[in-house]
Amino acid sequence: MEFRELLKAPGPVILDGGMGTMLQAKGLKLGEHPELAALDHPDWLLEIHRAYVEAGTQILCASTFGANREKLKRTGKTVEEVIPPSVAIAREAAAGKALVALDLGPIGQLLEPTGTLDFETAVDIFAQQVRCGVKAGVDLVKIETMTDLQECRAALLAVKENSALPVIVSLTYEERGRTFLGHSPACAALTLEGMGADVIGINCSLGPREMPGLVRELTKWTTLPISVKPNAGLPDPGGAGYDITADQFAEAMAQLTELGVKCYGGCCGTTPEYIAKMCTALEGRTIKGVPRHVPAAVCSPTRVVPIDRVRVIGERINPTGKKRMKEALLRDDVDFMLSQALEQTQAGADILDVNVGLPEIDEAAMMVKVVKALQGVTDAPLQLDSTRPEVLEKALRVCCGKAIVNSVNGDEETLDAILPLVKKYGAAVVGLTLDKNGIPKTALDRLDIARRILNRALNYGIRREDVYIDCLTLTVSAEQAAASQTLEALSRVKKELGLKTVLGVSNISFGLPARSLVNQNFLMMAMTRGLDLPIINPNLEPMMAAVRCYHLLTNIDADARDYISAYADAAVSTSITAGAGQTQSAAPAGERTLEQIVVAGLKGEAPAATRKLLETMDSMEVVDGVLIPALDKVGAGFEAGRVFLPQLIQAAGAAQAAFEVIREVLSAQPGADSAPKAPIVLATVKGDIHDIGKNIVKVLLENYGYPVIDLGKDVEPAAVAEAAKKHAAPLVGLSALMTTTLGSMEQTIRLLREEHVPCKVVVGGAVLTAGYAQKIGADFYAKDAKESVDVARRVIG
Amino acid sequence: MIAVTQLNTDEVLRYMGCPPDRAHGALREQVEDCAGELLGAVRPRWSWRAVEIAFEAGGIRLEGGLLLPGQDLKSHLAGCGRAAVFCATLGAEVDALIRRAERQDMARAFTLDCCASAAVEAVCDRIETELQEKFPGCSFPFRYSPGYGDLPLEVQGPLLELLDAPRRAGLCATQTHLLTPRKSVTAILGAADGEIERTKRSCLGCPAQGSCQYRKAGGHCGIS
Repeated sequence: MEFRELLKAPGPVILDGGMGTMLQAKGLKLGEHPELAALDHPDWLLEIHRAYVEAGTQILCASTFGANREKLKRTGKTVEEVIPPSVAIAREAAAGKALVALDLGPIGQLLEPTGTLDFETAVDIFAQQVRCGVKAGVDLVKIETMTDLQECRAALLAVKENSALPVIVSLTYEERGRTFLGHSPACAALTLEGMGADVIGINCSLGPREMPGLVRELTKWTTLPISVKPNAGLPDPGGAGYDITADQFAEAMAQLTELGVKCYGGCCGTTPEYIAKMCTALEGRTIKGVPRHVPAAVCSPTRVVPIDRVRVIGERINPTGKKRMKEALLRDDVDFMLSQALEQTQAGADILDVNVGLPEIDEAAMMVKVVKALQGVTDAPLQLDSTRPEVLEKALRVCCGKAIVNSVNGDEETLDAILPLVKKYGAAVVGLTLDKNGIPKTALDRLDIARRILNRALNYGIRREDVYIDCLTLTVSAEQAAASQTLEALSRVKKELGLKTVLGVSNISFGLPARSLVNQNFLMMAMTRGLDLPIINPNLEPMMAAVRCYHLLTNIDADARDYISAYADAAVSTSITAGAGQTQSAAPAGERTLEQIVVAGLKGEAPAATRKLLETMDSMEVVDGVLIPALDKVGAGFEAGRVFLPQLIQAAGAAQAAFEVIREVLSAQPGADSAPKAPIVLATVKGDIHDIGKNIVKVLLENYGYPVIDLGKDVEPAAVAEAAKKHAAPLVGLSALMTTTLGSMEQTIRLLREEHVPCKVVVGGAVLTAGYAQKIGADFYAKDAKESVDVARRVIG
Repeated sequence: MIAVTQLNTDEVLRYMGCPPDRAHGALREQVEDCAGELLGAVRPRWSWRAVEIAFEAGGIRLEGGLLLPGQDLKSHLAGCGRAAVFCATLGAEVDALIRRAERQDMARAFTLDCCASAAVEAVCDRIETELQEKFPGCSFPFRYSPGYGDLPLEVQGPLLELLDAPRRAGLCATQTHLLTPRKSVTAILGAADGEIERTKRSCLGCPAQGSCQYRKAGGHCGIS
C-alpha cells in the first residue's frame, strides 16, 4: 500500500523507533559515525530494521539521518556512497511489509540569521540527498528532528523540487512548546501545510506524556494528519537513558488517538519492544478524522497573526514618495530599513509591507537582503510587495513563515504568473480589484473582479482564507464620489465572498489640507464596513488610535485592556482638530546645551535640542561648530583613559539622533543635496560573525559625517571589492575577531589589491595587532573605534 | 536545569572596558537594566560527557578517538586521567535580542552583549560546580576551551558532535569553527584523582593578549 493510501485508511500508521540508541546497544563505539552504519555494520542495521518490522512498523526510516554532504565531510564518504546501501538494507528488511522513507535530519550548521549557512545552500544540500534517495527507490521522505523552521522549509522545497514523493515534516520542541530557536508548532503547521507537506509532526526531545499540549496546538493550525515520535521519556541531562518503560510508553501513546494523531512511532531510547507494545495498545483503533478549520492567518517562524480582528500593515518600508528611504536603498543601507521596521512594530504594526522597488537597483537582490535582515530583528510577518514575479519568487523562497504577496489583480497574465508562486510557497495573496481596463468605477464591477481573482486562486489550490481583496482607495480630492464606491465594494466583498479585505488608506486625502483628519475618519468608516487589514503608517498616533477605538467599541478588545494599556497614562490630546497627527514632542524644559547632551550621551534629549539650535543656526554650523567638537571632546577623553567605551558609544548615539534631525531638515529643503563625503565601506570578514565592534565603528564614523556602506558580517572578499568599486570608496574598513578568520581578512585585502581598487584599507578587531595588520597588507590599523575615525580623517579629510 | 538570576555588575563593566570604580551611576543603572532584559531571554542549555583521556605526543586523545592537538592542554591536564567535556549556550534568542538592540541603540546593544558574555561565564561556573560533584575526591584544573593556548578552534565541530550538541542543546559550529548561537562555550574540565598544582587562568596564553580591552581597563576578562 502506498503511503498516501495508508493515510486514508481508518487505522493508525505505525512508524519505527530509535536508531542511534539501537546502534549503540549493538556496539557502535563513541566517536564512530552512525551515518556510516550501512557501510560499516550492515548486519546490525538489517537486524534493527527487521526487529522493527516484526514489531509492527509500517514505515522504516532508512539510516540516512545525517547523510548530508556537510556531515559526511569528516568521514571521507559521499552522499552517493551512503544513501543507496542504507536504503537497500531498509528495503531488504521491509520485505514488502513496510515502506521505506528517506530520513533527512538537520545539516548540523545553523542557517542565517543565527548561523551563517545560506538558505539556497541548504536547499542544495538537501536536494542532493533527495535525488539520491529517489534513485535508490524510497517510498516517501521524512524530514525530522528539526529545530529551525527555515531549515524545514529548505528540506521541504528540496523534496518538492526534486521528487513527487509524499513527505512527513517533523520538528523537535522543548517543554516550553518551542524549538531551540523559539519557533512554534503553530507557525510550523501554517507554514508547512502551505508548502505542501503531507504530514506534520513532532519527534525527539520530549516523551509521550508531553505530547498532548503540542498536538492540540498543531490541530488548531493544520488540517493535515499528525505524526508523533517521542523519546522514551525525558532524557537525563548528562548521560544516556530515558525515564519511561515500554509499557508506560505504549499507554501514553494510545491516549493520543483521542486527539486524532495519525502516525505513531518512537525516537531516542525506544526499541522494538516499545514499538511492539505500542502496536498492541493501538490495535483495532480507528483514528477519527476530526474536521478542523484553520482560520485566516499569517506568520513568521515565531509569531502567528490570525486575521481575527483589524491587523495593521505598516507601510513605511517603501521608497514611493520617501526620499530618505530611496537614499537608503541606493546606499545599500539595510540598517535604515530595519530601524523603520522596529519603529513600526513598536507603534503597533502587526505585519510589515516590504517594497524595495527602485529602477536604479537590483530589486530581487535587495529584496532578498532586506527580507533576511528583517527576519533577523522582527517577529512580524511580512507582506512582500512587488509587481515583478521574479522578485516575489526570490523573496518568497527566503521568507520564513507564511507571508502575504502584494499583489495580483484581475489581469489574466498577472494571475497566471503570480498565483502559482503563492501556492508553491504557501503564502496569502492580495488581489487588487482592477484589470487591464483600469479601476472600475462602480462597486459592482470591483466585486466582479474580486470574484474572478478568488475563483482563479481556488483553481490553483489556494485556500479561500488566504485571498485578501483590496478594493482600492482613490483620492477623494480628485474623485469625491469614489470613496463611497470603495467602501461599498469592500462591504460586498466581505459579505458576498466572505473574504478578508485590505486597503491602503492614506491615498484618500492626497491634495487636501489636514490629511490626518481625512485619513483617520476614512479608516474608521472602512473598518465599520469590514476592513481587516489597513495599510497605514502606524507611527501616526491618530491612525492607531482609530484602530484601538474600533476594537474597543466593537467589543473585540475584551475589558478594554489594549485601550487602557495604551492610554491610561497618556496625556493624549483628546482633540483631533488642529494639529492632529503631528507627533512632535514638546521641547523638554532642559537647560543643557546640545554639546553637553552629546558629551553626556543623552540620546533622548538630542533631537529637541538640535531642532532648537536649527532655529538660529545653519545646519552645517551645528555640525561643525557643535556636534563634531563635542564628539572630539569625548574622543580625546577616551584616548586619555578618562572616558570609557560605553560613554563613547552613548555620546555617538546622542550625536546620531542629532544628525537624523539635521538630515531630515536638509532633505526637506529643495535642492539642498550638498555633496556628501565619500563613503567608507565596512565589513566583518567572511567566516566571522562577531560584528558588534564593526557596528560601533560604524556609528562613530557616521557621526563624523562619513557615509558608511555597511556590508554586514560574514562578507565574501568579492562583495567587499564590488562595493568599494561601486561606491568609489576611498577607504575600506575590515573587522575580524577570531584568529581563524584573519585568513579571510588577508584574502580580502589581496583581492582589493589584485583588482586595483583605489582604496586604503583599515583593519581592526580583538586579535589584530599593528604588526599583523602591516603583514597582511593593510594601510592602517585601528586599535579602537576612535582610531578608525582618525584614520578616516587622514584618508578622506 | 541551570538558571542564572543575576549578573555581577562589576564584571559586566569590566567586559565593557570600564573600570568598575570609575563607572558613574547612570552607567551602572544601564548595566543593571540590560542584565534584567538579557536574563529574560537567556535559556541555558548544555550537555556533557565523561571521557577517559590519554596523553600522546601530539596532544590529548579523548575516549572515542578525538585528538585535541597541541602542547598547552597537555601540560594543563597533567595528572588527570579523566575529564568532563561540556558545552553550554544561552540560546538563539539572546543573539536576536542583541541584533534588535543594535538597530536602535548601540550603547544598549553593547551593554547587552557584555551582559551576555558575563551570563555565559556564570552558566559555565554553575555547570562546573555540578560536574565537580560527579567526580568525588578529585581535584580539577580550571576549565579549558578551544582557542586558549595552542588548542585550535578547529576542534569545536568534533567536540559538539561528541556531545550530540546540535540535538541536545541546539548548538552548532560554522564552517569557520565559530559557535552558533554566538554566546556559547565548549570546554574540557580535567579530573585528577590526587592533588594537582592549581594554576590560575592567565592572559599569557590568550589570543587577545596585547590588544585586550579588559587589560587596557586595568583588569582582565574575569575568566579565572
